[in-house]
Amino acid sequence: MNNDELITKLKTIIAPYIQDEEAFKNLSEDTDFVKDLKINSANLVDIILDIEDEFDIRLENDDMEKMLDVKSAMAIVTSKLNK
Amino acid sequence: MIGNDIVDLSEAQRASNWQRPRFLKKLFSEAEQHYIKTSHNPFVMVWRLWSMKEASYKLYTQLNPSRFYNPKEFQCSIKGNKGTVRFKDFKCYLETKTTSNYIISEARLEPNKLTSTIVKFSTTSHKEQSAVLKSKLLNRFGIEYHLKKREFNIPFLSNGKDNFNISLTHHGNYGAYAIA
Repeated sequence: MNNDELITKLKTIIAPYIQDEEAFKNLSEDTDFVKDLKINSANLVDIILDIEDEFDIRLENDDMEKMLDVKSAMAIVTSKLNK
Repeated sequence: MIGNDIVDLSEAQRASNWQRPRFLKKLFSEAEQHYIKTSHNPFVMVWRLWSMKEASYKLYTQLNPSRFYNPKEFQCSIKGNKGTVRFKDFKCYLETKTTSNYIISEARLEPNKLTSTIVKFSTTSHKEQSAVLKSKLLNRFGIEYHLKKREFNIPFLSNGKDNFNISLTHHGNYGAYAIA
């Protein structure tokens, strides 16, 4: 999977939880889940669970700790898929 | 130093499903899952523990400026409406208030009464809610104060000379501010 495909999949996962449409339209690797998309921190765990289901991977506590922006989510998914 | 966190219970009901597979395991320790399983109202217990973790995280990051997502390691123990949260070698004291509409927790380094001022919003826009909460806080404190953010988005009030640590929270239709 290339980066564009990965971002597209992540966008679909994130969409139900965003509270800032404008930031979501302009989503890039630098977009922050909480600061930019205003996702409630209680929903970050839903994004993590949705990512696990979508890519059939499991994220550990250490992975979760960094899951604050699109870039980190991409890096974590990529590293899990390459294992 | 102070951290607070509010959970709007109807928003929690609408926007989260604590019963989805692996949800509890990702966020709560074995001991916390036990609190939830043995509670007469597991839903309320889930969000009480969550608000305690969030309030403690806000206090922790005032002392240790940083950003991360590790709610599970903020380990709660509760007694009545009070509790403590430990994270590594950090420990803080919590008081929680539960109503039929919301749950609010406040974290301090020493045991203290809950002091947060609750705000009920008439708007659902995240931006407008932030603005309302901010103006209520500044009205209370005096117009010579400004709301500022440190690195990692940590808020404080300043009049250019004196600084006060504060904590802001909003969720669903409710918000709250607390001044240390």
